[in-house]
Amino acid sequence: MFRPSPSLQVRHPDLIMDIFVQQLVNSLSVASVTILIGIGITLIFGLAGIVNFAHGEFLMVGGMATWFMVGTGMNFFVALVLAGLLVGALGFAAERCLFRFTLNRPMNGFIMSIGLSVILQHAVIRVFNEFQKSITDPVGLVWTIGGVDIIAMRAIVVAITAVIVAITYFGISRSRYGMALRASVSDRDTAELMGIPVRRYVTGVFIYGSLLAGIGGALMISLFPITPFTGSVIIIRGFAVSLIGGLGNVGGAVVGGLVLGLVDGLSAGYGYPEWTDAYSLVVMILILVLRPQGLLGGTLGPKAS
Amino acid sequence: MPMIDQSAGKTGGAPEGVRPRDRLALLTADNAAVPLPAGVQAITAILLAGLLIALPWLGLGYRFLSIAITTLYTAIGLYGLGLQFGQAGIMSVGHAALMGVGAYASAILSVQLGLGFWTSLPFAMALSAIVGGVIGLPTLRVGGQHYIIITFCFCALFVIVLTNGGTFTGSATGLDVGSVTPLPGINFDKLSNNYYLVLAALFLALAATYLIGISRYGRTLRAIRENEQLARSVGINVDLHKLGVLMVSGLFAGLAGVLQLYYLRHISPTLFGAFPSLYLALMVMLGGARYLYGPLIGAIIVNFLPEVLNLEPVDARIAYGICLLLVILLLPGGVGAGIKNIYLAIRGGLETQGGGSNGRA
Repeated sequence: MFRPSPSLQVRHPDLIMDIFVQQLVNSLSVASVTILIGIGITLIFGLAGIVNFAHGEFLMVGGMATWFMVGTGMNFFVALVLAGLLVGALGFAAERCLFRFTLNRPMNGFIMSIGLSVILQHAVIRVFNEFQKSITDPVGLVWTIGGVDIIAMRAIVVAITAVIVAITYFGISRSRYGMALRASVSDRDTAELMGIPVRRYVTGVFIYGSLLAGIGGALMISLFPITPFTGSVIIIRGFAVSLIGGLGNVGGAVVGGLVLGLVDGLSAGYGYPEWTDAYSLVVMILILVLRPQGLLGGTLGPKAS
Repeated sequence: MPMIDQSAGKTGGAPEGVRPRDRLALLTADNAAVPLPAGVQAITAILLAGLLIALPWLGLGYRFLSIAITTLYTAIGLYGLGLQFGQAGIMSVGHAALMGVGAYASAILSVQLGLGFWTSLPFAMALSAIVGGVIGLPTLRVGGQHYIIITFCFCALFVIVLTNGGTFTGSATGLDVGSVTPLPGINFDKLSNNYYLVLAALFLALAATYLIGISRYGRTLRAIRENEQLARSVGINVDLHKLGVLMVSGLFAGLAGVLQLYYLRHISPTLFGAFPSLYLALMVMLGGARYLYGPLIGAIIVNFLPEVLNLEPVDARIAYGICLLLVILLLPGGVGAGIKNIYLAIRGGLETQGGGSNGRA
């Protein structure tokens, strides 16, 4: 699904370095979407204790909503914000109506999220259709920096992701809300006794993660065409990213996303593109088996029951 | 998962003066461990077997019988999943891939070496069991959701490998096989004979599940499910038991896969991908993994629901999803639990009226 853009064709066979840089920028923009979904999953899985298999579908719904809104003539960046809010609201509804009731039975919550993902996927097919959707490049500029062509939209995607990552990272590690959140993860009962509204925090984290998925979906459709089935592919990458980095660890998700995005982007450019999806799967299985707590360490997620 | 055995004795009968809310709780309770009287078990088994055997004679048509065959071979795979999840508590969302291992092994043996149904069956089942055990190795280190994610990865990887496997695996188009080698006097090209073949395999799976459930082995698995540390500390070789049940589950999956292959005569990677796997998980949850007839009930509901309600495939999948949500929220033990609890409640009510003269088994 992640193909190198047409601008990456070899024009000067001797300028291998230029092509490498282009591939790098390309990979970074791919990594951005992966990082956004990875952060959402790492927060929801690691901090709220919910394994939401429908998270990829949330991203897909965000992308489809953006496609629809841009189709009605709306500005892409307005549509991006609206898609984020829409998917955030979807997350709120899902948490209140479904996951709230399975907080102490994570396995049931997991199975339920599979049901939710099936519903969302086919609801989108029902409302639109199963064919792939794309929008025209909302910026439509190409910057040439030192002989390297960079598609402006890709750089903007990277920048937006960087801002979101910074906000999330400092929100979790520095603000009192982040501190309260981490307290409720390490000891829910004590945190509750200290007057932290743990349930509300769980809801809050779920909404925030969903919002990121919505924005990720909007960014994704600005780079690649998406189909109603995109969600079930991207979810695996999201889990890979969050598990590589360590659950609940925002920095880890960024590292995981970069590693995976680069491996994907470069393998699509240089290696065997038909095996691209397999790399992330193999990496994830290895990490899960060898270092279940992730490379950078994190929570082990909700206790299995 | 709640502990089941302490409450087992008193959840069966409704004490006098229970509030309606408590009655609802009686329905959602997990009574999988409550033994039913041998007579009830035998009557249920005979009625069910009679119905299944008589099915082709009821004149329900070709389409109905086809769906019935699909339901039955799916149910065989589900009994493996039901065993590993219901008894040992190891859930998998990559089970269709395990069926695919069996199906592809049999198909490749047929294409490359010309082996027929009967000769390739043991190899395919053995391979599925081995693969099941190998995928199961991570369960020794990680549990719960981590393992589920691993199985999902395996499933996705399996499809990628099949799709990139060239002519050996038939790539995206898949492989074709001939029909089941006829036994003397029985030609399996006839749909009803194919039905009986699958039905016989289902009876085997049911019998195996029943025997494992009542055996010492089954009790050990349940002990591991409820408290792994405790099981380990009383000297149970937890690792060996876990791998063992996953291999048994793989055997069932292999059998189901080969039956599927020889019913469809053509297989392709998408049959064994993420979606079919998720539906297997859905069916086993829907029916109730801890109940003997749970997986069968789940397979029947999911396969016949679109037919009964006359749904389009897309609507049917939305309906599956909604069913799954409702079952998890309202009936966490599955439909099997609901049926058993209704029976227990009725029997409990009768007992209260009759002064409790019927001794409980």
